[in-house]
Amino acid sequence: MHGAENQPTEAAFEPLLQFEMEMGAFLSDWNHCDQLSTFMARMISHNRTDPVRHSNFFSSALNELLEVSFRSGSPDGRIGCAVYRWGPTERVELTFPCPPGQRQFYREAVSKTRDGDAHARYLDSISTDLAPSREAVLLDLSINFDANVRLDESDPPSITLVVDLPLEGVVR
Amino acid sequence: MSTTAFAVPFKAEFDPNSQEFAISGVVRPRSADEIAATISMLKGAIEEVRGVLYVNVKRLVQMNNTAYHAFARVLLDACRTRSDIRFVVVTSSVVGWTERMFAHLNKIEPQVTVEVYDSKFYPGQSFVENTSFIPILRTQTKMTWRHERAILPRHGLRPGMTMADICCGIGDFAMLARKEFQPARIVALDHSKASLAYARDVASGFGVTDIEYTYGDASEMLLEDSQFDFVTCRHSLQIFNQPDVLLKELFRICKPGGRVYITNEKNSHCLGEPRAQSIQWTYNEVAKLFSHFEMDVELGPKSKRYLVDAGFDDIIVESFMVTNLDGDPHDFADIIAAWENVYAGEMAVKRGDPPEFIDRFRQGFRDHIFAALHPKGYAGWPIWAASGRKPL
Repeated sequence: MHGAENQPTEAAFEPLLQFEMEMGAFLSDWNHCDQLSTFMARMISHNRTDPVRHSNFFSSALNELLEVSFRSGSPDGRIGCAVYRWGPTERVELTFPCPPGQRQFYREAVSKTRDGDAHARYLDSISTDLAPSREAVLLDLSINFDANVRLDESDPPSITLVVDLPLEGVVR
Repeated sequence: MSTTAFAVPFKAEFDPNSQEFAISGVVRPRSADEIAATISMLKGAIEEVRGVLYVNVKRLVQMNNTAYHAFARVLLDACRTRSDIRFVVVTSSVVGWTERMFAHLNKIEPQVTVEVYDSKFYPGQSFVENTSFIPILRTQTKMTWRHERAILPRHGLRPGMTMADICCGIGDFAMLARKEFQPARIVALDHSKASLAYARDVASGFGVTDIEYTYGDASEMLLEDSQFDFVTCRHSLQIFNQPDVLLKELFRICKPGGRVYITNEKNSHCLGEPRAQSIQWTYNEVAKLFSHFEMDVELGPKSKRYLVDAGFDDIIVESFMVTNLDGDPHDFADIIAAWENVYAGEMAVKRGDPPEFIDRFRQGFRDHIFAALHPKGYAGWPIWAASGRKPL
């Protein structure tokens, strides 16, 4: 996990790739999460030090984010995903419609990824939950992928999960 | 890059003999119900085993949190009800997230431990992944390339192909092939991080950015099925204790109609004049020494059999002799000196050979060098180049 003080300026991130599609179309097939994450991972990893393993790691993280947006289940509006790069870090900005009632949930879930007890929460989730909650998925990204997660609510009714993944450093 | 075959279906099996539950491929279900049969298989395996259950995830390419939680739950519940067994999760160092994710289970239940598989795959690994091997590899490629640049087109390599060099070592063959044959894409994989670091440094120094160097286990590659027109694997089947397993992987990543090209030696056929007897004795001993560490450096002439058994057709086999007459004889001598250092200086010592054996063993290499540098001498190192086509 990384503190906000270690973050580069927004302008430092260079755009790599993005897609946008109707939520209805996205929600029509669960396999879209796997297909999109695999394709985007390959495209953005080709010039990383170890393209094959970087792609595998990145696909794993992006798929979890796409599954989170899939499970949010709002068929109206559009889903957008943009990937940026700054040095060893890829930034994923995933924008999807979020009903007002779920916003507080996402605020809390994102906040918990930064708490001191994030690791204990994550272990507790593995130990007790029948299925992973979206909160557990964000904790997984934070703990297993060294991700920094934040929430952007500037474009309602959509929310944007902004996830920085320093995978070039992790894939050694 | 290939844009087909996104989702590789996953496979799970339980082998009661080795008490191993193995799951491989891409496991990304929407709910645990979709993998209920596999979960039941794992539960059945836990019921059946005594002492230890190995959970093999080394070929697990992807697993989402839904599947991970479902499997973790079964293992953790079993820890609570079955204190008599322990669980060993076998991961691969290539797929880094598996090691990270499964290691958490040990924090919750110490009965679950995680082991990294690759480090003990083949017995001779420590010798060939040692950085002291780099000078050997570098000079060897320089010598063999003189022959192989003419041989490779006969085995089907053409410009514009997608190519993979598996067990690429320090990446010099990939660099040469890239320059000579201009592949559309070239992936170079090796299991030695030191060799890959060297390869990347060299590529960077020459401004080459289009070789995809990747860390991987050749017997368990992350590369997808049927991706490459031409797959090379040079001097490597002979140093794996399971060459058939490696060849199966080469077959898998090759496109139907594409070809897999392998080179291997028959070390006991290394020769030289003068001092032929001493040279012959030492190289017979080289073959025995490698055999002790479960490597078959006599594999060259067996290439056809291996290719047939792996399912290839249209097999081509030829041999060539690298000699002291190929360019500078000191290059040949350098290779032999490097062999002496590793074979006599490290491997024979590790086998526990007595000093008098090692002295005689060293003498054969020195006589080979003598023959190579002698004005009237001749020294040779035979290599078999073979390829097969993956049927359409």
